[in-house]
Amino acid sequence: MKKVFALILALAMVLTAASFSLAEELPTITIMFHGSNVTDDTAVLEAVNDYIADKVGAKLEVVWGTWGDFDDKATNALLSGDSGIDMVFTCSWSADEYNTYAKNGYFVKLDDLIAEYGADLTAAIPESLMQAATIEGAEGMGVYAVNGFKDTATQNTWDVNVTLLNELGYTLDDFRAMSFYDFGEMFQKAKELKGDSFYPFLVEPMVLERMVTGSIIVTGDSGSTNLLSLYLNQEDVSADGPEGNVLLNKFATEEYRRFVDKMHEYYEAGYVDPSLAVAETSNDTRTNAQNTGDYLIGTQSYAYGYEYSPAVLDRGIEVAFVPCTEPYVDTTAAQGAMMAISTASEHPVESFKFLALLNSDPTLMTLMNYGVEGVHYNLNADGLVEFTDERANYSPWTNGMGNVTILPDTAAEGAGFREAFKAYYASAKAIPCAGFAFDNTEVANEMAALGTVAAQYALALDAGALDPETTLPDFLAALDDAGMQTYLDAANAQLEAFMAAK
Amino acid sequence: MTNRNGVRGAGRWSRKDFWLLTMVAPGAIWLLLIRYLPMLGVVIAFKNYKAQKPNTFWNNLVKSEWVGLKNFAFLKSPSTVTMIRNTLLYNAVWIVLVLVLAVLLAVMMSELKNRFMAKAYQTMMFFPYFLSWVVASYFVLAFLDPTSGMIPSIQKSLGLKPTQFYMTTGPWPVILTISNLWKNVGYSSVLYLAAITGIDTTLYEAAAVDGATKRQQVWHVTLPGIRPMIIILLIMSVGKIFNADFGLFYNVPQNSGPLYPVTQVIDTYVYNTYANTHNMGMSAAAGLLQSVVGCLCIVVTNLIVRRIDADSSLF
Amino acid sequence: MGRDRRTSASLNTFGPGAQAVFHVTLGLFALLCILPFAFVIIISFTSEDSIRQIGYSFAPLGWSTQAYRYVFRLGNALWRSYFNSFLITAVGTAVSVAICVLYSYPLYRKDFKYRGFFNFLSFFTMIFGGGLVPTFVVCKTLLGLSDNYAALIVPLLFSPFNVIVMRTFFQTTVPRELIEASTIDGAGEYRTLFQVVLPVVKPGIATIALLNALAFWNEWFLSLLYITKNMDVIPLQYLLMRMQRNADFLAKNAGMLGADAAAAARKLPSQSLKMALVVFIVVPIACAYPFFQRYVVAGLTVGSVKG
Repeated sequence: MKKVFALILALAMVLTAASFSLAEELPTITIMFHGSNVTDDTAVLEAVNDYIADKVGAKLEVVWGTWGDFDDKATNALLSGDSGIDMVFTCSWSADEYNTYAKNGYFVKLDDLIAEYGADLTAAIPESLMQAATIEGAEGMGVYAVNGFKDTATQNTWDVNVTLLNELGYTLDDFRAMSFYDFGEMFQKAKELKGDSFYPFLVEPMVLERMVTGSIIVTGDSGSTNLLSLYLNQEDVSADGPEGNVLLNKFATEEYRRFVDKMHEYYEAGYVDPSLAVAETSNDTRTNAQNTGDYLIGTQSYAYGYEYSPAVLDRGIEVAFVPCTEPYVDTTAAQGAMMAISTASEHPVESFKFLALLNSDPTLMTLMNYGVEGVHYNLNADGLVEFTDERANYSPWTNGMGNVTILPDTAAEGAGFREAFKAYYASAKAIPCAGFAFDNTEVANEMAALGTVAAQYALALDAGALDPETTLPDFLAALDDAGMQTYLDAANAQLEAFMAAK
Repeated sequence: MTNRNGVRGAGRWSRKDFWLLTMVAPGAIWLLLIRYLPMLGVVIAFKNYKAQKPNTFWNNLVKSEWVGLKNFAFLKSPSTVTMIRNTLLYNAVWIVLVLVLAVLLAVMMSELKNRFMAKAYQTMMFFPYFLSWVVASYFVLAFLDPTSGMIPSIQKSLGLKPTQFYMTTGPWPVILTISNLWKNVGYSSVLYLAAITGIDTTLYEAAAVDGATKRQQVWHVTLPGIRPMIIILLIMSVGKIFNADFGLFYNVPQNSGPLYPVTQVIDTYVYNTYANTHNMGMSAAAGLLQSVVGCLCIVVTNLIVRRIDADSSLF
Repeated sequence: MGRDRRTSASLNTFGPGAQAVFHVTLGLFALLCILPFAFVIIISFTSEDSIRQIGYSFAPLGWSTQAYRYVFRLGNALWRSYFNSFLITAVGTAVSVAICVLYSYPLYRKDFKYRGFFNFLSFFTMIFGGGLVPTFVVCKTLLGLSDNYAALIVPLLFSPFNVIVMRTFFQTTVPRELIEASTIDGAGEYRTLFQVVLPVVKPGIATIALLNALAFWNEWFLSLLYITKNMDVIPLQYLLMRMQRNADFLAKNAGMLGADAAAAARKLPSQSLKMALVVFIVVPIACAYPFFQRYVVAGLTVGSVKG
């Protein structure tokens, strides 16, 4: 058998050598995006390669990852040390999670490259984004990915069906004056008006929990079901919250108990669709009802300009988004979409030059994002972008690509949109612990066990389907058995060290 | 291996062996390249796998830090007992049920006088195999959905309080069992039917001449005729006793948390954990554990089978 | 064929009472098996409004052919992937059946010196595997399985399960005397296999071919892993799974993606479209099924004694 191996190895080497000798003068760099909907990129890549040949000195190829396949493709490429992928999307919530993968040596530390080739880049994106990307990686403290300038602040809002609200005899101001704990009477009226199969309260249970208790997602916490709470100062997000900068067991607080008690009351009264309490049906149910306007009050993670998007305009009702807090910059939002260079890449310099150009050059960004003028879009009399039918074959995920603030305004958004967008997020305040990411490697086993326990109870409790009186004590006991205290101690020790260093 | 004919010496290659070797060669090369070479990756289960310099897979594999059994520590979780119990119990019950039902159906089909109907039944029974668990889960949902499902709707029209199926553990062992039988019985019965087809027909004639009734023929000719197939499939399913059908346990209960006490199995636990931690070492460790247990089960079963009927054993 | 043997009918077939019981049992089970598929067809013709209002139902509020019209509008992408599915299944099945038969036949030969070794070589891989990433590395970097048809065929060419099943078919249907007789006649090993043995194990081969064809037809994960740039080679099943997984992803990450998720979810195809694609996937292979079945059931009718 050894001979067979030797033969195959020899063959492989010959083939590799052959492919080298055939290589063109310009090296090829490959980038992998997330969430794309692209079936034909020929025209775009042709134009891009013309444009970057001198500026970058490389030829671009693209792997158009989709929502469903990116996680598998990206982790496979990175874990297998695949030199065929030079640049890859990463962030705080994807499978190739930024902090973990940088720490484990998969991403190139960019500081030297930024110093040498990154002047335009640093001018184009805010200093705060650079800071959010500065972490303790395999090569020490530094920047391991180019941070995209997009909706970089978190803001949760109530999604209000104003049409129905008015029908019930309330004004939007009446609603603004109400808190979560006062909704009952309004839901009661809606139920009477619309019938028994109408569910007025259309929520994403986990988001609702954060909105009501005023807590944030802690980066590095168990992803599918958060375990940790850090309470915001809801009056001024940049100030310390009621408990200070301390991480708490989310499910053991009084605020949580109060929330789930009320939610269970709403659920039992028939205000909440039972499908929302089941992991795999929850979101489909919510999206369907939201798109048809079949709700009274919903929850929505908000991005600037969302009310003008087709997702909202097509509902056939008047919609208002009522914020719970002002927008705040936390680690999760600030590391929401980034591009890293793989340490397996053979062309890190060209790759960086490309990323720097993409994030600072409007021509390239527009080409990559909106396609070719005259093919995928045209400019109307006001100089605004109007998409053609070809756009259906070329729709990358805009926010996943990089600096969206250098894109031209579209006719749908209106003139001045991007400027306003930029101003909105530039003014967002950072919370006191922004930049903190919990490194869970030391407590990975505890986290695995805790995640399972939480998945068993949390969604159903948050949606109100379980009675807290009987289930919450069991839940808390199970969390303690699974090592909650160890997990909390590790997280708090890290946060303390982080705050001290800051 | 002793040579039956004793024609050629045991230590030397015969021409026959050479030709037979050329037959296994394509498969053997495939196995070595695509199955055995990657097995070097098993060491990931004992390592803290990370990118090294230079970042190539084999280099990372060799240079990553050795951590012993640390990746297996996920077994200390309180859910471990539940998930292992569920995996073993469901599999044990289903191995028996699928075997009995599939053989029963195959024998029935082989004994039908109406060949057209036999073919029709067989074709229909294969349909579940075409549908993924995702699609099948919609079908289950149509019955159980708390708002519009058929059963809750009937309960409502009768003035009863509708059952919250996705919050109630009670009915799920039955629902999962029915789903599993629905999916696998037809598929297995095809294998048994093909095995019945291969039985030498003169055996039936001989039995008939001896005055055996049809029932006796089934008992004394058909079942012994397919015994090797039954035993082989049995040994192989015993080897998979630590592996669960992921889609069945994940999609059909809609991954509903409150059902975990009766739906959590090793595969869904590892999946949910990996989705949560992206810890490659842990999933490699879980996979290795499943393999080792499966291997032990097979060796033991095979030993028992060899005691009873050496010809039917796997190796 | 063999009608003259029906003389002792009572001994050769079950009576009408038993036949009726068989028909009822098999019929009910068979019905249960196709009911979900009927359900899929109903959903594929259900109007979106109905799905939004009452979910999936056997009795929808409204009907629509919109999903099918949308499928046909996929045009080239659809037909191309259909063609790929057929190509991959045909080539894959032919090659894998050949490999399987060639591998399992010597394992059935008790006089094959390395029988134990190769038996173990195959069997061991059923239980032990190297895991996803190492396999990916070998296939992609060493064997060049990337962005081509080979990547969708080669990793599935061999199945230890099928080898064991095929070996069992040899054991139960081919009398060892047959081979000894053929060898004594001086026939070579290949001639014995192809001219003497294979005709006898046709039902077994048909069964293996069916299992292989199904495996290739249903495969989509290989496309997800190995096809990154050349979307011209992806099969139909992958088109469906991609839609499914896109929807799943957006559902799971809605909290993180916020407004982006809501916007992206709008672009996803409807539920009825997914079901229409399921219909497109199931129908061809279901039509091919009787072809394989002919051998399996034909064998039964040849066994004339059993009526």
